[in-house]
Amino acid sequence: MPAHEITPTRSVLLDLKRRIKLSQNGHKIMKMKRDGLIIEFFEVMEKAKEMRGSVVSDYQAAMEKIAIATAVEGEIAVKSAAYAIKSEPQVEVGSKSIMGMTVPKVEAKIARGNILSKGYGVISTSAYIEEASEAFEKLLVTLVRAAEIETTMKKLLDEIEKTKRRVNALEFKVIPELLEDKRFVEFRLEEMSREETIRLKYLKGKGEKA
Amino acid sequence: MFGRKGKEKKGNYAYAVARVKAKKAQLMGEDTYSKMLMMSLPEISRFIGESGYQKEIATLAGRYEGVDLIEHATYSNMANYFRDILNATTGELHDMLASYLEKWDIWNFKVILRGRSFGMNADDIKEDLVPAGELDQQALEKLLSLESEEDIIIAYGRAAGVVFPADLISAYKESGNPSELEDFLEKDHYDTLLRSIDPSSRPTRLFQDYIRKEIDITNVETILKLKAEGIHGEEVMKYIIPGGKQIDKKLATQLANAETLSAAANDLAPLDFYDDIKEALDETNSLRSIVAGMKKYHIRQAKTFSHLYPLSVIPIVDFMIHKENEVNNIRIIARGLNSGLDTDVIKELLVI
Repeated sequence: MPAHEITPTRSVLLDLKRRIKLSQNGHKIMKMKRDGLIIEFFEVMEKAKEMRGSVVSDYQAAMEKIAIATAVEGEIAVKSAAYAIKSEPQVEVGSKSIMGMTVPKVEAKIARGNILSKGYGVISTSAYIEEASEAFEKLLVTLVRAAEIETTMKKLLDEIEKTKRRVNALEFKVIPELLEDKRFVEFRLEEMSREETIRLKYLKGKGEKA
Repeated sequence: MFGRKGKEKKGNYAYAVARVKAKKAQLMGEDTYSKMLMMSLPEISRFIGESGYQKEIATLAGRYEGVDLIEHATYSNMANYFRDILNATTGELHDMLASYLEKWDIWNFKVILRGRSFGMNADDIKEDLVPAGELDQQALEKLLSLESEEDIIIAYGRAAGVVFPADLISAYKESGNPSELEDFLEKDHYDTLLRSIDPSSRPTRLFQDYIRKEIDITNVETILKLKAEGIHGEEVMKYIIPGGKQIDKKLATQLANAETLSAAANDLAPLDFYDDIKEALDETNSLRSIVAGMKKYHIRQAKTFSHLYPLSVIPIVDFMIHKENEVNNIRIIARGLNSGLDTDVIKELLVI
């Protein structure tokens, strides 16, 4: 609020002082939150880097194994084995809190049972198909985990940006404006007090003359 | 099992062997695979089109392309060859070959059952059938047209002479999991096959030995597969096919009880194919390399008896083994090149 729109009264001054204290406290807390989020972001970024590495290596391994299984056993056999699998991967999405911010917690519920529970015959299913199946199960778990970390990282970045804007707004706009208002009200109050004193003196002088 | 042709007769060995000899001459030589490794996919299609697969390539070219065309054309060609031979044989020879080729009937049954339970439409399942066994395309399509999966199981059992235990069918109905049915069929196949071979003559004994070694290899692969998953002991023994040549129940139990692949290696040492898998066991411990080693040993075994007993089942089975191997090798090269696999990896996968 521009200073000239403020009514310079004692109650406004008290309110301004209260708001300044609140803003300064808020600014301090926001700064701490921003710094905390940045530290958290760097930790998550390290994990994301590792995860990306795992996704690439697991993907390459899975693709190599499926290529070998398809070559040795044929696409028909690989397709047929895939059709025999009954369990579908489930993804459970929950949430957790990082410094008051809600981030997703994703858990892959993949029935990584052994070969006995897959749905295809143990005797006739080749080792190549079994190896490919395991590699893809591993890749799926890694991908879900990577998705969780990447989303957390993205949310953290958004939150850091938002917190940074709030800190800046408090530091460079809200608090300086409140201080300016306070100065204005104090100045006006002092001036009003001086005017009152002069008026009283003037009235007193006039009374004595009379 | 199956509709036996002239059960009393010994079989038309001379005629069947003469037909197979002509076909065997058309099989690719070992050096051909090295040439194919240098080719692109269209070049491979054209090359195999000029090497005996012309009819199938031309027929299927409108439906498939690239590596799928190669895979379907080679399977179709193999099925045509095997059915030709099967239809041209009689008596005990026919019975032995029908029992040997029953593996393709089982393959097709599995493709149908798995496809149906997954909800695939009949036309898509039909594309994946390889009628190389006694059940021809028409019989397989009849199975495919049946209403329920239970009907398919019962009809297959009737057509192939397999008696499914009632508890397996009811377990499948409850769970929709065909694994027990599939394992039962594999065991039943080898049991029927061994029973269909009369070991009174030297050539049939050789054939029987070959099948018994195949059982050994399948059993070792099963044990190693389960061991890699941490399954040991009695649980493993449920999947052991009886009738192996070198692996009896005692050795199978020993292998099944071994904690790790390396521990099992000592028990595998006396086996014929140990030398072929020794390196893989020692160095990589990779199941894939061990299986590749065993496959190579198995095809070498077939080569050792290929030239023996010209008027017996041996030359015919030898042709079938080599034809199937040729189809596998062409597919390995085509799919391997298409997926960008390293040439050395492809060479390692080839069974030459």
